[in-house]
Amino acid sequence: MADKRAVGHAYNIDFLNVVFAASSLFVLFSTVWMVWDDYDREWKNYQRQFSSLEMEVTRASLVAEQANVNQAQVAEVTAQRDAAAQQVGASQAQVDDLEGQLAEVERQLFIATQAFNFTKAEYDVDRYAFEVEREEAHGAGEDHEVAGEEDVTALYERWVAEGLEVERLEAERGEIRNQIGAITAQVDNLTAELGGLVGETERLQGLVDDLEPSLINDYLLNAPLLDFMAPSLTVRQTITPNVVDDVNFTRVAKMDRCQTCHLAIDREGYEDYPQPFRTHPNLDLYVGSASPHSLESTGCTVCHEGMGQTINFVQAAHSPSSDEQMAEWEEKYDWEEQHYWDLPMLPNGMAEASCRKCHQGEVFVPGAEKLNVAYGMYERAGCYACHNTAGFADLRKPGPDLTRVASKLDEDWVANWIRDPRAVKPSTWMPKVWYNSNNSAEDEGFPVRNEVEIDAVVAYLFANSEDHDFAVSAPPRGDAANGQQIVESVGCLACHITGDEGREAAGPRRTFGQPLQALGSKTTYEWIFDWVRDPKHYSSETYMPDMRLTDAEVADVATYLEGLTGRAGTPATATYQQADVDAVLLDYMRAIVPFEEAQSTIAGMSAQEKQHDLGRRAIGRYGCYSCHQITGFEDVQPIGVELTEEGSKLLPQFDFAFVHDIPHTKRDWINQKLVDPRIYDTNRILQPLEKLRMPNFGFSADEARLLTTAVLSFQRDVQPKEAQRPRGAQEDALVEGRNLVRRRNCVACHEIEADGGDYVALVEEPSLAPPMLTPQGAKVKPDWMYAFFRGPITIRPWLEVRMPTFGLDDQHWNGVIDYFAAVSGSIGEFRTHEEVPSNETIQTGEELFDLLRCQQCHVLDTIPEDQELSNLAPDLRMARERLQPDWIVDWLVNPLGIQPGTRMPTFWTEYPGSFYPQFEQDGVAQIESIRDYLLTFRGGPSPMSGN
Amino acid sequence: MDAIKGFIDLFADPRLFFTISVVALVLIVWKREAWASNSWGWGMMVFLAIFFAFGLTDENFNKIITKPDNVPIVALIFLLVFFTWYSVREGVRNDQRIAAGKEPIEKEEEDRVWTWPDLVYTELIAMVVCMVILIVWSIGLEAPIEQPANNANTPNPSKAPWYFLGLQEMLVYYDPWLAGVVLPSLIIVGLMAIPYVDKNPKGNGYYTFVERKAEIVIFLFGFIILWNSLIVLGTFLRGPNWNFFGPFEYWDVHKLEALTSVQLSDYIWVRGLGMALPENPLVRESFGILLTLVYVFVLPVALAKKGLSRYYEKLGPTRFYVTVTLFLAMLSLPVKMLLRWLFNLKYVVSIPEYFFNI
Repeated sequence: MADKRAVGHAYNIDFLNVVFAASSLFVLFSTVWMVWDDYDREWKNYQRQFSSLEMEVTRASLVAEQANVNQAQVAEVTAQRDAAAQQVGASQAQVDDLEGQLAEVERQLFIATQAFNFTKAEYDVDRYAFEVEREEAHGAGEDHEVAGEEDVTALYERWVAEGLEVERLEAERGEIRNQIGAITAQVDNLTAELGGLVGETERLQGLVDDLEPSLINDYLLNAPLLDFMAPSLTVRQTITPNVVDDVNFTRVAKMDRCQTCHLAIDREGYEDYPQPFRTHPNLDLYVGSASPHSLESTGCTVCHEGMGQTINFVQAAHSPSSDEQMAEWEEKYDWEEQHYWDLPMLPNGMAEASCRKCHQGEVFVPGAEKLNVAYGMYERAGCYACHNTAGFADLRKPGPDLTRVASKLDEDWVANWIRDPRAVKPSTWMPKVWYNSNNSAEDEGFPVRNEVEIDAVVAYLFANSEDHDFAVSAPPRGDAANGQQIVESVGCLACHITGDEGREAAGPRRTFGQPLQALGSKTTYEWIFDWVRDPKHYSSETYMPDMRLTDAEVADVATYLEGLTGRAGTPATATYQQADVDAVLLDYMRAIVPFEEAQSTIAGMSAQEKQHDLGRRAIGRYGCYSCHQITGFEDVQPIGVELTEEGSKLLPQFDFAFVHDIPHTKRDWINQKLVDPRIYDTNRILQPLEKLRMPNFGFSADEARLLTTAVLSFQRDVQPKEAQRPRGAQEDALVEGRNLVRRRNCVACHEIEADGGDYVALVEEPSLAPPMLTPQGAKVKPDWMYAFFRGPITIRPWLEVRMPTFGLDDQHWNGVIDYFAAVSGSIGEFRTHEEVPSNETIQTGEELFDLLRCQQCHVLDTIPEDQELSNLAPDLRMARERLQPDWIVDWLVNPLGIQPGTRMPTFWTEYPGSFYPQFEQDGVAQIESIRDYLLTFRGGPSPMSGN
Repeated sequence: MDAIKGFIDLFADPRLFFTISVVALVLIVWKREAWASNSWGWGMMVFLAIFFAFGLTDENFNKIITKPDNVPIVALIFLLVFFTWYSVREGVRNDQRIAAGKEPIEKEEEDRVWTWPDLVYTELIAMVVCMVILIVWSIGLEAPIEQPANNANTPNPSKAPWYFLGLQEMLVYYDPWLAGVVLPSLIIVGLMAIPYVDKNPKGNGYYTFVERKAEIVIFLFGFIILWNSLIVLGTFLRGPNWNFFGPFEYWDVHKLEALTSVQLSDYIWVRGLGMALPENPLVRESFGILLTLVYVFVLPVALAKKGLSRYYEKLGPTRFYVTVTLFLAMLSLPVKMLLRWLFNLKYVVSIPEYFFNI
């Protein structure tokens, strides 16, 4: 080596050459690798795949379209056009001559237009220069004259003259074109006709041609290293100025790049292709350009969550919907939970949790089917009672009033009931407080402790129970069969179930009222009678309405319900001594007062005092009072954590403790908590009072998933006002009304806005169910409606189901009336009908009334005989008081449009024309004459007279 | 396998880690002639490579060392060991030559080389190699970008840039005003002062150990132990809540550390003198304040008289006091560490009333 080191050389140059060569090769390889790495990006590959898929789909639709084309007609028109073209050929010399002239005029026009534009440009420059010069001169002194105005004026005049020349030439060109057109008119028309026949196929053919791989567009522009210029493979993004991302210190417009891979999300025709190329399943509501949530205005991630900016599958925080999918993704994409994005995508079926971001305060969001059921369950289960939640504030306590419990129940039954409520009624919403996963273990002494607490709670409730004054003492028994018939027909089953169907099968609406199963084993005949007769007599807060039964009917119903006996519940599993009560009480007290003090206090108490004191503390600890009215707990705060922003809470704030078998996500934590609320105590060493205390509702997997969606929907306000629905009187009335008719379970009987009316499943055929109320605002006069709500009358005597008396206050009823008006778009409008019809009109109305045989189905004092029940229609004598006159006209014009499935025939199918001769076949006049005739009826049943 | 991991985890405890580092440094300096052999140099590299290769098989360790931020620190460990070994080896060789009455190696080499090809060519090669490294790095490791900053959800562990992790480790023992302001300023001032306080002309332009023993030992202690080993400790061994974790331990956010350290004033008043703490904070902390004043002002004077009088004479008063003050400031960190580990001492002076703790 030394010999290679000549004077002044520090290194062996030959060796350096080798090093240099090697490092140059490395740089070459790494550059190639870099280019390949860029070329081979996930999204570029998807776009390449998609272009062949697009080709396939377009070809398929071209083939389908070609099959639609009437080839015979095309051939005929083509032949006609060829014949016409031959005729034109005869005067070809003339056409050639005209086209020669046209070319010359076009040339002149080009020169004239250019001169015109150039002069204008010069004029603008000179004029401005002159204006500035004059302005400056005037600044120096008023009397300074500035030369050059004439030149500017001259230039202007030249420009105008040149404009005239342009116009002249354009007119000349038009004239020549007309001459040519006159000769070739027929050919042009036939070509246009042909275009109409094959236009769609030609368009598709053009599309296919465009999509055909081309050297320049597809290979050259997308080639590695050349694709920086104008590649056709590009990142596609939507920026939504009104929908924002909260990046904690500021809010920025969302930038969603999902379409870079989901290329057909807004295009029909890709419904059956695998992701990422599938069309959105509901283009009418989302993504579609005509939908209320268009891609341009809404984007993707405000609903689906996930990181919109990224174009990488894993970083976008896709969430698998099942374990199988997770395994598949791990295999295919090296998928893992993303820690660097707080809001991972919601899995399939949970995206509705995002509706509330913009639809704030809405318990019912039209179209959000899962979320609506979820909110229904959230209320039914009474989650809001322990967990304050915005939008669910100021609701009544979901459980029954316990301040007079002694008049209704006995102590043994209550103890057995709270030990395991679902053992008594499988469909109850009452949760299990004791004997859950963290308080059952025998070696920790739980059965004894539980029994001590259960007995203490029961003792407290009964010791603090007030007397109830039964309205009828020693009520008579009735006929159970008749009672059953009443229960099954008047509408009780809209809110109650009597059988053993589970909570899930019955759904939130039919578990709105207590399940009636095993009622006879629970309470006394006196109590049932008193309750059915007037529920508000026992509990002024109850939502149970008055069914207006006679005392005899009440006796029948009560007798029937008393006969519904069943399970008596779970008996005690352990016995205890007084010392056990003392120990538990001491445990409770030491948490608050010093040990010595607790001990001496207990020593000074009688056994009964101890039990009652323990009962009060246990009720306080488990939060029974959150759901039930209990004496002594009137102003105590609920025990649960507030859930108003639970969906925005960050993952690190959820304590998974030693539960390792669920994925580390927010939704899985919540889901697991719902399935077993005490699970996060597993394997922890905790004193009894340190343990979790949320009771177990026994939610099924589906119920838990729905409630998880509801909880995830409770989020911090992030989206700006511009993203929300604009509020106004109508919108407010809609939102309030939708909430109200769900919170009072109106939708259990009535269909409103295409939701509800579940009662229809309980009757033989749809027309025997309570009426659909969507058009109510346009149909019924508000004063009549108000009177009806206050004192319902029978409108359809052939229906067995009846409208109960709800006893709501004016504010609520006005809310309902406003809601119906808002649904019909008629809120705030007072409408009168003052036209005085002529006798002739009324006469013609009567003629038509008879002709169309309205009375065949409609009641007019008497119920039409020999008519099927389902065909019967309300008494028309009510029309004047009850119906909006304009609505009668709308109804007669198109009854099916207002109420799909109605038996009311459409008589004016040719409206405004008519089959009938009256008023010279003027349908409008005919219908109005019937309306006017109807309004002359008097003496029908009325809710107004009684109030 | 798990036993080996457990064993290594055990030795990575900050106390043991620090002690082992110091012992290793002492051994390197003491037995430098043995350590300077090629077999030791290669052996160290192979040992490190095996250690990291073995570590890759462990899920937890793998996560730490393959994190894009940390990959360069793994490289840093190799480079640090290599260059320490290399410089010691060169120093040892020269020392042997000098002892044998020869010139150092560097003096025998040409002191001029050609610009072309020697300088420019090697620069070109260096550039090309850098480019390869950067390209491969950028393809292989994704930019370690995290989620948008959130004051409600700060990263845990919240770590400084890797080059400041030594400073962050100091925060365990000192309050921010000392660990974050005073001591770093003294480091900079001290580095600036070196050319002015160092009068020793030997060792210029060549490696040596014998001719600059004290300087090199102080440098190695400050740079390798107090700076680099604390960076390694901060990167690999400090997890959530700045709790300590062995390299193969799972970073459990919920891991708890019993906070049981006590103040010097507790020791003196309550345990020593058997009385309650005085109300007045200045009286309460008077012993700590006194001790600190002694450390800062009396100790340098005492050292000048006895112990380091040789240096006092060599450097003169100004240089001596500057040097000794800086040196004591540097030592204050290991001193405090020892006090914490041996006596569970939290603060020497603790006046939370004025946000003043030492």
